Amino acid sequence: MQEPDRHEPPHAGSERELLETFLDYYRGTLLVKCAGLNEEQLRRRTCEPSTLTLLGLVRHMTNVEQNWFQRIFLGLEVDFVYHGQRDRDREFNDLDGTTSDQVERDFLAVCEQSRAIGEAHDLDEFERRSNDEWRVNLRWIYVHLIEEYARHCGHADLLRERIDGATGD
Amino acid sequence: MVIVAPPRTEPAFNGPEKSQLEAWLDYHRATLLLKCSGLSFEQLATAAVPPSTLTLLGLLRHMTIVEQYWFHQIFADHDVVPAYDSPDDPDVEFNDLQSATIEEVERDFLDASERSRVIVSNADLSSLARAAQPSTPIDLRWICVHMIEEYARHNGHADLLRERIDGATGD
Repeated sequence: MQEPDRHEPPHAGSERELLETFLDYYRGTLLVKCAGLNEEQLRRRTCEPSTLTLLGLVRHMTNVEQNWFQRIFLGLEVDFVYHGQRDRDREFNDLDGTTSDQVERDFLAVCEQSRAIGEAHDLDEFERRSNDEWRVNLRWIYVHLIEEYARHCGHADLLRERIDGATGD
Repeated sequence: MVIVAPPRTEPAFNGPEKSQLEAWLDYHRATLLLKCSGLSFEQLATAAVPPSTLTLLGLLRHMTIVEQYWFHQIFADHDVVPAYDSPDDPDVEFNDLQSATIEEVERDFLDASERSRVIVSNADLSSLARAAQPSTPIDLRWICVHMIEEYARHNGHADLLRERIDGATGD
Protein backbone atom coordinates (compact mmCIF):
# COMPACT_ATOMS: atom_id res chain seq x y z
CA MET A 1 0.00 0.00 0.00
CA GLN A 2 1.06 3.55 -0.70
CA GLU A 3 1.42 6.32 1.84
CA PRO A 4 -1.57 8.63 1.19
CA ASP A 5 -1.72 12.41 1.25
CA ARG A 6 -2.80 13.28 4.75
CA HIS A 7 -3.84 16.75 5.86
CA GLU A 8 -3.89 18.07 9.42
CA PRO A 9 -7.38 19.32 10.36
CA PRO A 10 -7.62 23.12 10.72
CA HIS A 11 -7.32 24.28 14.33
CA ALA A 12 -10.48 26.38 14.17
CA GLY A 13 -13.55 26.29 11.98
CA SER A 14 -17.04 24.95 11.50
CA GLU A 15 -18.32 21.72 12.98
CA ARG A 16 -18.69 20.08 9.58
CA GLU A 17 -15.24 21.07 8.35
CA LEU A 18 -13.68 19.72 11.52
CA LEU A 19 -15.56 16.40 11.48
CA GLU A 20 -14.88 15.76 7.80
CA THR A 21 -11.19 16.60 8.04
CA PHE A 22 -10.56 14.61 11.22
CA LEU A 23 -12.28 11.57 9.71
CA ASP A 24 -10.19 11.89 6.54
CA TYR A 25 -7.06 12.35 8.63
CA TYR A 26 -7.69 9.02 10.32
CA ARG A 27 -8.60 7.19 7.11
CA GLY A 28 -5.18 8.36 5.94
CA THR A 29 -3.47 7.37 9.19
CA LEU A 30 -4.63 3.77 8.88
CA LEU A 31 -3.10 3.59 5.41
CA VAL A 32 0.11 5.25 6.66
CA LYS A 33 0.43 2.44 9.20
CA CYS A 34 0.10 -0.14 6.40
CA ALA A 35 2.31 1.59 3.83
CA GLY A 36 5.38 -0.18 2.49
CA LEU A 37 4.71 -3.60 4.04
CA ASN A 38 4.46 -6.89 2.14
CA GLU A 39 1.51 -9.28 2.10
CA GLU A 40 2.93 -11.45 4.88
CA GLN A 41 3.70 -8.51 7.17
CA LEU A 42 0.20 -7.08 6.71
CA ARG A 43 -1.29 -10.45 7.74
CA ARG A 44 0.96 -11.04 10.75
CA ARG A 45 -0.53 -11.25 14.26
CA THR A 46 2.22 -9.37 16.03
CA CYS A 47 0.49 -8.61 19.35
CA GLU A 48 -0.71 -12.07 20.31
CA PRO A 49 -2.85 -13.21 22.00
CA SER A 50 -4.70 -10.53 20.03
CA THR A 51 -5.67 -11.79 16.57
CA LEU A 52 -5.57 -8.28 15.09
CA THR A 53 -3.62 -7.64 11.90
CA LEU A 54 -3.07 -4.48 9.87
CA LEU A 55 -4.84 -5.94 6.83
CA GLY A 56 -7.72 -7.09 9.04
CA LEU A 57 -8.10 -3.55 10.36
CA VAL A 58 -8.41 -2.07 6.85
CA ARG A 59 -10.94 -4.73 5.89
CA HIS A 60 -12.86 -4.10 9.11
CA MET A 61 -13.03 -0.34 8.57
CA THR A 62 -14.23 -0.92 5.00
CA ASN A 63 -17.21 -2.84 6.39
CA VAL A 64 -17.68 -0.25 9.14
CA GLU A 65 -17.85 2.62 6.61
CA GLN A 66 -20.46 0.72 4.62
CA ASN A 67 -22.41 -0.15 7.73
CA TRP A 68 -22.75 3.38 9.13
CA PHE A 69 -23.08 5.50 6.02
CA GLN A 70 -24.89 3.16 3.60
CA ARG A 71 -26.80 0.58 5.64
CA ILE A 72 -27.71 2.59 8.75
CA PHE A 73 -27.78 6.22 7.66
CA LEU A 74 -29.24 5.74 4.16
CA GLY A 75 -31.06 2.51 5.02
CA LEU A 76 -29.71 0.66 1.96
CA GLU A 77 -29.48 -3.15 1.86
CA VAL A 78 -25.94 -3.26 0.51
CA ASP A 79 -23.69 -6.30 0.87
CA PHE A 80 -20.54 -5.84 2.87
CA VAL A 81 -17.31 -6.03 0.87
CA TYR A 82 -16.14 -8.81 3.18
CA HIS A 83 -18.11 -11.96 3.86
CA GLY A 84 -21.72 -11.00 3.50
CA GLN A 85 -23.67 -9.99 6.55
CA ARG A 86 -23.57 -12.74 9.16
CA ASP A 87 -20.29 -13.25 10.98
CA ARG A 88 -19.08 -9.88 12.21
CA ASP A 89 -15.45 -10.80 12.84
CA ARG A 90 -14.63 -12.70 9.69
CA GLU A 91 -13.16 -9.66 8.01
CA PHE A 92 -10.53 -9.69 10.78
CA ASN A 93 -9.84 -13.34 11.21
CA ASP A 94 -10.43 -14.99 7.85
CA LEU A 95 -7.91 -13.14 5.71
CA ASP A 96 -8.71 -14.73 2.37
CA GLY A 97 -6.58 -14.36 -0.73
CA THR A 98 -7.66 -10.80 -1.44
CA THR A 99 -4.43 -8.93 -2.13
CA SER A 100 -3.53 -5.81 -0.21
CA ASP A 101 -3.83 -3.79 -3.44
CA GLN A 102 -7.43 -4.93 -3.81
CA VAL A 103 -8.14 -4.30 -0.10
CA GLU A 104 -6.75 -0.78 -0.50
CA ARG A 105 -8.84 -0.11 -3.65
CA ASP A 106 -12.04 -1.31 -1.97
CA PHE A 107 -11.28 0.74 1.13
CA LEU A 108 -10.67 3.92 -0.86
CA ALA A 109 -13.80 3.37 -2.97
CA VAL A 110 -16.00 2.86 0.09
CA CYS A 111 -14.51 5.93 1.82
CA GLU A 112 -15.30 7.98 -1.27
CA GLN A 113 -18.91 6.77 -1.16
CA SER A 114 -19.11 7.72 2.54
CA ARG A 115 -17.68 11.15 1.81
CA ALA A 116 -20.33 11.81 -0.84
CA ILE A 117 -23.12 10.67 1.49
CA GLY A 118 -21.85 12.77 4.39
CA GLU A 119 -21.45 15.92 2.31
CA ALA A 120 -25.02 15.66 0.98
CA HIS A 121 -26.77 15.58 4.35
CA ASP A 122 -27.21 17.77 7.39
CA LEU A 123 -25.44 16.73 10.58
CA ASP A 124 -28.76 16.82 12.46
CA GLU A 125 -30.38 14.44 9.99
CA PHE A 126 -31.44 11.08 11.41
CA GLU A 127 -30.66 7.65 10.06
CA ARG A 128 -33.31 6.00 7.86
CA ARG A 129 -32.82 2.45 9.16
CA SER A 130 -34.99 2.97 12.18
CA ASN A 131 -37.28 5.52 13.70
CA ASP A 132 -36.93 4.82 17.41
CA GLU A 133 -35.32 6.76 20.22
CA TRP A 134 -32.04 4.94 19.58
CA ARG A 135 -31.70 6.27 16.07
CA VAL A 136 -28.46 8.10 15.39
CA ASN A 137 -27.95 11.37 13.63
CA LEU A 138 -25.19 12.00 11.10
CA ARG A 139 -23.20 13.95 13.70
CA TRP A 140 -23.04 10.88 15.95
CA ILE A 141 -21.81 8.76 13.03
CA TYR A 142 -18.96 11.18 12.30
CA VAL A 143 -17.79 11.43 15.91
CA HIS A 144 -18.13 7.70 16.42
CA LEU A 145 -16.14 6.91 13.28
CA ILE A 146 -13.39 9.33 14.31
CA GLU A 147 -13.04 7.62 17.68
CA GLU A 148 -13.34 4.13 16.17
CA TYR A 149 -10.63 4.88 13.60
CA ALA A 150 -8.44 6.46 16.28
CA ARG A 151 -8.78 3.46 18.56
CA HIS A 152 -7.96 1.03 15.77
CA CYS A 153 -5.04 3.25 14.73
CA GLY A 154 -3.79 2.79 18.31
CA HIS A 155 -3.89 -0.94 17.65
CA ALA A 156 -2.15 -0.33 14.32
CA ASP A 157 0.60 1.68 16.06
CA LEU A 158 1.64 -1.29 18.18
CA LEU A 159 1.15 -3.89 15.41
CA ARG A 160 3.38 -1.85 13.09
CA GLU A 161 6.07 -1.16 15.67
CA ARG A 162 6.46 -4.90 16.22
CA ILE A 163 6.74 -5.56 12.47
CA ASP A 164 9.51 -3.13 11.54
CA GLY A 165 9.98 -0.73 14.45
CA ALA A 166 8.19 2.14 12.69
CA THR A 167 6.38 4.57 15.02
CA GLY A 168 4.76 8.00 14.80
CA ASP A 169 1.40 9.71 14.54
CA MET B 1 -4.99 -0.34 46.09
CA VAL B 2 -6.39 -0.95 42.65
CA ILE B 3 -8.35 1.32 40.33
CA VAL B 4 -12.06 0.50 40.35
CA ALA B 5 -13.83 0.55 37.00
CA PRO B 6 -15.92 3.73 36.95
CA PRO B 7 -19.51 3.91 35.74
CA ARG B 8 -19.41 4.52 32.00
CA THR B 9 -22.28 5.91 29.97
CA GLU B 10 -22.69 5.27 26.22
CA PRO B 11 -22.92 8.62 24.44
CA ALA B 12 -26.49 9.48 23.46
CA PHE B 13 -27.19 8.46 19.85
CA ASN B 14 -28.31 11.87 18.72
CA GLY B 15 -28.48 15.43 19.90
CA PRO B 16 -26.57 18.67 19.54
CA GLU B 17 -22.86 19.08 18.98
CA LYS B 18 -21.66 20.05 22.43
CA SER B 19 -23.45 17.38 24.41
CA GLN B 20 -22.14 14.71 22.03
CA LEU B 21 -18.54 15.88 22.29
CA GLU B 22 -18.75 16.08 26.09
CA ALA B 23 -20.27 12.60 26.25
CA TRP B 24 -17.62 11.02 24.01
CA LEU B 25 -14.85 12.66 26.02
CA ASP B 26 -16.24 11.27 29.25
CA TYR B 27 -16.73 7.87 27.66
CA HIS B 28 -13.04 7.67 26.74
CA ARG B 29 -11.86 9.03 30.09
CA ALA B 30 -13.82 6.23 31.74
CA THR B 31 -12.55 3.68 29.21
CA LEU B 32 -8.94 4.42 30.12
CA LEU B 33 -9.71 3.87 33.82
CA LEU B 34 -11.59 0.68 32.91
CA LYS B 35 -8.52 -0.64 31.09
CA CYS B 36 -6.44 0.09 34.23
CA SER B 37 -8.95 -1.31 36.72
CA GLY B 38 -8.15 -4.23 38.98
CA LEU B 39 -4.42 -4.37 38.21
CA SER B 40 -1.46 -4.15 40.60
CA PHE B 41 1.14 -1.40 40.41
CA GLU B 42 3.55 -3.84 38.82
CA GLN B 43 1.02 -4.81 36.14
CA LEU B 44 0.15 -1.18 35.44
CA ALA B 45 3.85 -0.36 35.07
CA THR B 46 4.61 -3.27 32.70
CA ALA B 47 5.69 -2.45 29.15
CA ALA B 48 3.67 -5.39 27.86
CA VAL B 49 4.09 -4.77 24.10
CA PRO B 50 7.84 -4.30 23.62
CA PRO B 51 9.69 -2.69 21.90
CA SER B 52 7.08 -0.05 22.76
CA THR B 53 7.77 1.40 26.20
CA LEU B 54 4.10 2.28 26.74
CA THR B 55 2.44 1.22 29.99
CA LEU B 56 -1.11 1.63 31.28
CA LEU B 57 0.12 3.76 34.18
CA GLY B 58 2.14 5.90 31.78
CA LEU B 59 -0.95 6.45 29.62
CA LEU B 60 -3.01 7.57 32.61
CA ARG B 61 -0.26 9.97 33.69
CA HIS B 62 0.12 11.22 30.12
CA MET B 63 -3.59 11.98 29.69
CA THR B 64 -3.57 13.86 33.01
CA ILE B 65 -1.04 16.37 31.72
CA VAL B 66 -2.70 16.44 28.29
CA GLU B 67 -5.96 17.49 30.00
CA GLN B 68 -3.99 20.16 31.90
CA TYR B 69 -2.25 21.35 28.76
CA TRP B 70 -5.14 21.69 26.32
CA PHE B 71 -8.07 22.65 28.55
CA HIS B 72 -6.50 24.39 31.56
CA GLN B 73 -3.43 26.01 30.06
CA ILE B 74 -4.01 26.62 26.34
CA PHE B 75 -7.78 27.13 26.31
CA ALA B 76 -8.45 28.74 29.71
CA ASP B 77 -4.99 30.30 30.27
CA HIS B 78 -4.88 29.11 33.87
CA ASP B 79 -1.61 28.90 35.73
CA VAL B 80 -0.88 25.20 35.55
CA VAL B 81 1.56 23.09 37.49
CA PRO B 82 1.88 19.92 35.41
CA ALA B 83 1.20 16.83 37.47
CA TYR B 84 4.41 15.32 36.04
CA ASP B 85 7.30 17.49 34.98
CA SER B 86 11.06 17.28 34.68
CA PRO B 87 13.60 19.64 33.15
CA ASP B 88 15.62 16.62 32.04
CA ASP B 89 12.95 14.41 30.48
CA PRO B 90 10.10 15.66 28.26
CA ASP B 91 8.46 12.22 28.57
CA VAL B 92 8.81 11.98 32.34
CA GLU B 93 5.16 10.99 32.73
CA PHE B 94 5.83 7.84 30.74
CA ASN B 95 9.29 7.12 32.09
CA ASP B 96 9.44 7.84 35.83
CA LEU B 97 6.57 5.65 36.98
CA GLN B 98 7.82 5.23 40.54
CA SER B 99 7.24 8.90 41.37
CA ALA B 100 3.58 8.45 42.34
CA THR B 101 1.28 5.78 43.78
CA ILE B 102 -1.77 4.41 41.98
CA GLU B 103 -3.99 6.46 44.31
CA GLU B 104 -2.13 9.66 43.48
CA VAL B 105 -2.19 9.01 39.74
CA GLU B 106 -5.90 8.23 39.74
CA ARG B 107 -6.74 11.25 41.92
CA ASP B 108 -4.71 13.66 39.76
CA PHE B 109 -6.36 12.23 36.63
CA LEU B 110 -9.86 12.61 38.07
CA ASP B 111 -9.11 16.14 39.34
CA ALA B 112 -7.72 17.26 35.98
CA SER B 113 -10.67 15.73 34.11
CA GLU B 114 -13.18 17.41 36.41
CA ARG B 115 -11.54 20.77 35.96
CA SER B 116 -11.64 20.31 32.18
CA ARG B 117 -15.31 19.35 32.36
CA VAL B 118 -16.16 22.62 34.14
CA ILE B 119 -14.13 24.68 31.65
CA VAL B 120 -15.91 23.08 28.66
CA SER B 121 -19.38 23.33 30.17
CA ASN B 122 -18.96 27.09 30.64
CA ALA B 123 -17.66 27.87 27.16
CA ASP B 124 -18.87 27.99 23.60
CA LEU B 125 -17.28 25.55 21.14
CA SER B 126 -16.38 28.39 18.82
CA SER B 127 -14.51 30.36 21.47
CA LEU B 128 -10.81 30.66 20.88
CA ALA B 129 -8.08 29.40 23.17
CA ARG B 130 -6.69 32.26 25.23
CA ALA B 131 -3.11 31.06 25.33
CA ALA B 132 -2.73 29.86 21.73
CA GLN B 133 -0.19 31.52 19.45
CA PRO B 134 -1.89 34.51 17.78
CA SER B 135 -0.75 33.18 14.42
CA THR B 136 -2.60 29.89 14.96
CA PRO B 137 -6.05 30.40 16.52
CA ILE B 138 -7.41 27.24 18.13
CA ASP B 139 -11.06 26.86 19.03
CA LEU B 140 -12.60 24.73 21.75
CA ARG B 141 -14.28 22.58 19.09
CA TRP B 142 -10.89 21.47 17.77
CA ILE B 143 -9.59 20.82 21.28
CA CYS B 144 -12.59 18.62 22.12
CA VAL B 145 -12.40 16.54 18.94
CA HIS B 146 -8.63 16.28 19.25
CA MET B 147 -8.95 15.08 22.84
CA ILE B 148 -11.52 12.46 21.82
CA GLU B 149 -9.22 11.08 19.12
CA GLU B 150 -6.15 11.26 21.36
CA TYR B 151 -7.95 9.35 24.12
CA ALA B 152 -9.32 6.84 21.64
CA ARG B 153 -5.92 6.23 20.09
CA HIS B 154 -4.29 5.71 23.47
CA ASN B 155 -7.18 3.48 24.49
CA GLY B 156 -6.27 1.38 21.46
CA HIS B 157 -2.79 1.08 22.95
CA ALA B 158 -4.39 0.28 26.30
CA ASP B 159 -6.47 -2.50 24.69
CA LEU B 160 -3.39 -4.41 23.55
CA LEU B 161 -1.39 -3.71 26.72
CA ARG B 162 -4.22 -5.01 28.88
CA GLU B 163 -4.83 -8.09 26.75
CA ARG B 164 -1.18 -9.08 27.12
CA ILE B 165 -1.22 -8.47 30.88
CA ASP B 166 -4.21 -10.59 31.84
CA GLY B 167 -6.12 -11.46 28.67
CA ALA B 168 -8.94 -8.99 29.31
CA THR B 169 -10.48 -7.49 26.17
CA GLY B 170 -13.53 -5.42 25.25
CA ASP B 171 -14.60 -1.93 24.31
